[in-house]
Amino acid sequence: MSDWILQTTALCRHYRRGPQTVRAVDGIDLGIGRGESLALVGASGSGKSTLLNLLGGLDTPTSGTIVFEGTNLSALNRRELAGYRARRVGMVFQSFNLISHHSALRNVEMALLFNDTPRRERRARAIDILERLGLADRMDHRPGDLSGGEQQRVAIARALVKHPDILFADEPTGNLDQDNAVQIGGILSTLNAEGVTIILATHDMTLAGRVARRIVRLDYGRLAGNSAHGIEDGDTR
Amino acid sequence: MTFHDLVTNSTGNLRRMKLRSILTITGVVIAIATFVAMLSFGAGMQENISAEFEKFGLLNTLQVYPPRAEDNTDSAGTRVLLDQQTIRTFAAIPGVRLVYPFDDFNVTVRAGDSTVSTRAQSLPVAAVQTPLYSKILAGTVFTADTSDEIVISDDLLESIGVTDPDSVLGECLIVSVKVTCLDSGIVNAVRELPKRLRDRLSGVWRDSLSYPKFWADVGRAEGGAALSRFIDGYLNHRELVSDTLRVGGVLEGRRHGRSKIEPVVLPAGTAARFRSSGFSDDPTDIMAAIANGTLFTAAGGDGGKEYPQVTVDLDPNVTYEPIRDSIRALGFRTFSYADEFKEMRRFFFFFKLGLSAVGLIALITASLGIVNTMVMSIIERTREIGVLKSLGADDRDIRLLFLAESGMIGSIGAVFGIAVGWLITRVAYLVAYMILQQKDLPPMPFDPFSLPWWLILTAFAFGLVVSLLAGLYPAARASRVDPVEALRSN
Repeated sequence: MSDWILQTTALCRHYRRGPQTVRAVDGIDLGIGRGESLALVGASGSGKSTLLNLLGGLDTPTSGTIVFEGTNLSALNRRELAGYRARRVGMVFQSFNLISHHSALRNVEMALLFNDTPRRERRARAIDILERLGLADRMDHRPGDLSGGEQQRVAIARALVKHPDILFADEPTGNLDQDNAVQIGGILSTLNAEGVTIILATHDMTLAGRVARRIVRLDYGRLAGNSAHGIEDGDTR
Repeated sequence: MTFHDLVTNSTGNLRRMKLRSILTITGVVIAIATFVAMLSFGAGMQENISAEFEKFGLLNTLQVYPPRAEDNTDSAGTRVLLDQQTIRTFAAIPGVRLVYPFDDFNVTVRAGDSTVSTRAQSLPVAAVQTPLYSKILAGTVFTADTSDEIVISDDLLESIGVTDPDSVLGECLIVSVKVTCLDSGIVNAVRELPKRLRDRLSGVWRDSLSYPKFWADVGRAEGGAALSRFIDGYLNHRELVSDTLRVGGVLEGRRHGRSKIEPVVLPAGTAARFRSSGFSDDPTDIMAAIANGTLFTAAGGDGGKEYPQVTVDLDPNVTYEPIRDSIRALGFRTFSYADEFKEMRRFFFFFKLGLSAVGLIALITASLGIVNTMVMSIIERTREIGVLKSLGADDRDIRLLFLAESGMIGSIGAVFGIAVGWLITRVAYLVAYMILQQKDLPPMPFDPFSLPWWLILTAFAFGLVVSLLAGLYPAARASRVDPVEALRSN
């Protein structure tokens, strides 16, 4: 497969913790196709979140490369990397990470603050996406007044409002009950069906199975295998 | 991110931390209020003094004085005189609008039952219409040089026991001037001559009359005696010249300083009438006339009169320094209010600098409060910073967001500080007014506080700039927050 939207080569993220060097991500070669849905699974500490942060431009690798549509993210400066986060990717976190003193609408609008979207358009787009995710009557509520599922939907709305090329979701159902987890899984599947590339980090195999067409297993920062339709085990590219 | 976004975001955050924001802003308010109140005093004083200078046209006048006695010769060795000839020379200097002497003399003024001996000065109409004589308490100044209307000052009113300046307008005053004149000398010289001749001739041996030497001796003796009597009459038997003049206006007097206004101001032509038959009784006039050899020729005019001071009124559109230097080059001493004004401005500059230093110290103290508030805010909002970075905020955006917040604290503090500072000056003025009234002292002639636009803008700018400087460190610290760490924090 050559139509990779994102491709890593020998990607490493090592850091020191006291006298020890932690190899959170250790030599990962991975390609992600446009419109693909990929689940990174593995035990806690296997490097899923670190890899997601590297791919999402929140963290920088110790070595190796991440190429997004032909651009090496490792070579970008902090400002360019921020631009990548502002325009090309959306992120959803386990703990929602909504700004508690802003309304749901304002939280979603915030995602358009850093990519030069005109103010009036920001409001319209935020309303539109919240309505699509069934939060029309919750727009003026603060996160504290919303249920976990609603908060995560606001977080997804915030990630989607900038029309990203890739949606990263780090344990999106980790803090949700079964019903809400199913609902969020359904939303992610629908989005993928609409063409959004989704990279999901989870240890919930049910969610991974429901959302992802390819599952990549990590173990101590290394690829431990995958089960993808049409891609052989061990050949992650 | 637009300016509007920064303002909305920062006001929202300040509103969220109400108590902390109010306390921090209060610190800035106190500092700016101190700054404004202090500088308002400096500005008010300077403004009022400048206004007085400008109102009286002092910046456009030069006072000229004769050289000191020891320096009073020019390059050719002749004395330099401040007389009519010199006045004409000054008037010919480009940029000079008017030149007039300070010509004062003793007068006696009778108003009703009161008789007061005081000083008068003569002024041409053009001079009395300059701003220097604009502080009119009642009526108007005279409009003709030979007018029978005079202007008196409030000092004269006080002397004759009048309190209401309007009450004397149109009143007639009898103004008298004692003058020495040739007539007094001649009358005194010839008055005893027939009797003396008769006495001398009555006891003389008749044959002596045929001796020419006898007549020569008589002529010498009587001539000498007649000259002595003439001088005695000229100097001591003075005539009292009186005229009835109407009060046209009342000015605020200035008995001291460089631009004196005497209690009685006469039109130049009217003053000349008093002296048409001689000099005033001012001995310096007579001595000057004797020294200049114009004792007789000067009588009844100003031809040989020397003046102690001459006022040169300048065109406000020309710079005064070249004119001042030209006059100095002629050997005269000059005094310029513009020179004084320059010195005064220099003084006020340092005065205001000192006052603003006090305000600045308060502002720096307040800025520490801002730093503390902002650092606390960063600690509390680390996760929020991480979220913003995950949404695409770069270091500059985060820096701007925090700088906007500290700038907002400074702006709000400055606006309220300016208002509070002004309020303090009003209270101070009111308290001063009440204390003066309580102590039966005259009220302040002017409001010593002023809030000009430059002060408002400076105070606002100081508040804003100091707050922004205070926000630099917290903003830089916020921008350096690692998003991954921040998102993990609680």
